[in-house]
Amino acid sequence: MVSGILTGSLYAMIGVGLTVIFGVMRIINMAHGDMVMLGMYSSFWALTLWKVDPFVSIILWVPAAFLVGMLAYRFLLKKIVPAGELNTLLYTAGLSLLVSNLALFIWTGDYRTIKLDYAVMPLRPFGIAVPIPLAIAFGMAILITVALYWFLVRTDTGRAIRATSQEPVAAALMGVNAAQMEMVTFGLGTALACGAGVLLAPSLYLYPTVGEILVAKCFVIVVLGGLGSVQGAIAGGLLLGVVESLGAVYVSVPYKDAIGFVIFLLVLLFRPSGLFGVGKS
Amino acid sequence: MKKIAIIVGLIILGIAPIVFPSPFFVHLMIMVLMWTVLGAAWNILGGFAGQVSFGHATFLGAGAYTTMILYLKLGVDPWYGIILGGIVAVLISLPIGLICFRLRGPYFALSTLAVAEIIRLVALNWESLTNGPVGLLITTLPQVSLGGSPINWESKTPFYYIIAVIALGAIVMTLFVARTRLGAYLLALREDIDSAESIGINTLQTRVVALALSAFLAGTAGGFYAMYFRYVDPDAVFSIGLSVEMVFIAVVGGLTTVVGPLVGAMFLVTLGESFREHFLVGHLIFYGFFMMLAIRYMPDGVWGRLSVLIKKIYTKKGTNHGAA
Repeated sequence: MVSGILTGSLYAMIGVGLTVIFGVMRIINMAHGDMVMLGMYSSFWALTLWKVDPFVSIILWVPAAFLVGMLAYRFLLKKIVPAGELNTLLYTAGLSLLVSNLALFIWTGDYRTIKLDYAVMPLRPFGIAVPIPLAIAFGMAILITVALYWFLVRTDTGRAIRATSQEPVAAALMGVNAAQMEMVTFGLGTALACGAGVLLAPSLYLYPTVGEILVAKCFVIVVLGGLGSVQGAIAGGLLLGVVESLGAVYVSVPYKDAIGFVIFLLVLLFRPSGLFGVGKS
Repeated sequence: MKKIAIIVGLIILGIAPIVFPSPFFVHLMIMVLMWTVLGAAWNILGGFAGQVSFGHATFLGAGAYTTMILYLKLGVDPWYGIILGGIVAVLISLPIGLICFRLRGPYFALSTLAVAEIIRLVALNWESLTNGPVGLLITTLPQVSLGGSPINWESKTPFYYIIAVIALGAIVMTLFVARTRLGAYLLALREDIDSAESIGINTLQTRVVALALSAFLAGTAGGFYAMYFRYVDPDAVFSIGLSVEMVFIAVVGGLTTVVGPLVGAMFLVTLGESFREHFLVGHLIFYGFFMMLAIRYMPDGVWGRLSVLIKKIYTKKGTNHGAA
């Protein structure tokens, strides 16, 4: 249950990235999981090459990912977006295959792990064993998600982003530079994915196609909460984390991943705008 | 002109392994034809009906496992098994279609992805039937004799002719879809599903039929896959990656065209396999790259572009004749 919430917070962070991108640009970003994968590898290399702890190197990788995301949007995606949701879906699937196979080519398919000295002993706050890296990751994920939420609600740029997501034409008429907002949003989404990757790296195995399963989980989360809704994605992420860990205990470990997908199908069929009914269909 | 092209194509298809008997080349041709079948399968649903599926590996896997299990446990001859694989894939496709077709556009695509993952996990965990992650392996194929002499399964050539026949079947089926009322219905519902419904097309039934045809082709190709590689495991035949590759072959080749999947498979599989020969991994880099190029610059695919060019040259010749 506890580890469910902890993992769930990281799922939520990835999901929020996906959902803001969808909310503003109607892009279903199949390459989102690969951004997480890149984040994981970044933290791995920072640790092995420069001996920088993943939880420190995140300060460098998040802004880097923000830039990469903006550039990727500007040069790769911008022209495709007007062609419709299905085309962008296929296009980002192509991007995903390209990125993950480049990673496979450069870093080989070996499974890698990050070993931290302080990760050996679990933390025992209330008699519950919690792995330290996961606990730190949880804290940072909350911090980042809260910061993002504050940014979206309080700052002018955040308001502009939300306005574009609600009604692009009206936002443009009010003087919002929609093109710029889209670029910023894509950067933000990518930065979140990459940040979550850096945080996840000490708790998961790293391999180039890890993004495939992560992106599938992400869709589950985002659809659970309603596509385009930030609060929904947070709730969906926590929910999936808890359901998976409870399912592993009470149903069966092998079918842990399947439970999420079954819920996903049920929600798609009966509440296509999400459990919390905020997304627009 | 068209008839000549077809006859030339058939002759090339027939004599290719005799002219170039090197095992690598024959293997390459087999892969190209197998992916043609898979691309054609996806094209019927994704191209004509416009229903983007990210879960077609389900049908491939169902076909592969059916053929394999029938042969290993019941001793059913694989050559019936391949057809039965297609039929089982159709049976599986019916409930999937009835559930997922309630959704539209990107939501449909995501739901097929979820279904495919669920089925992969089931195959991974239903150990009594599928042997779980270990997979199923066959060592010998049954003796079959053709015209008095037994067929040598160690050579790749017999496999080539089998898949060539299946690929021809796939192309004929695509032609059938393109030329009949069914194809017209599919195109109509692709353009606007509500309008199609309002002029009296039963869109759910039409989509389910398209999915069933598509599943049959993919399942047959799956059965062939099992016999050719003689090994299946859930991650090999049910992976998201396979589904995505099918999409790419169809899109890069040209959606809604009869020859598109063949062109796409020739192009991508040849590139991928020759890359694999030198570097082992990462051959899908090309798939991703050309997918992006195709959507950006050639929304009709390679064949779509080529056929426009051919037509242009053709009409130019025609007008010249008229002037002279």
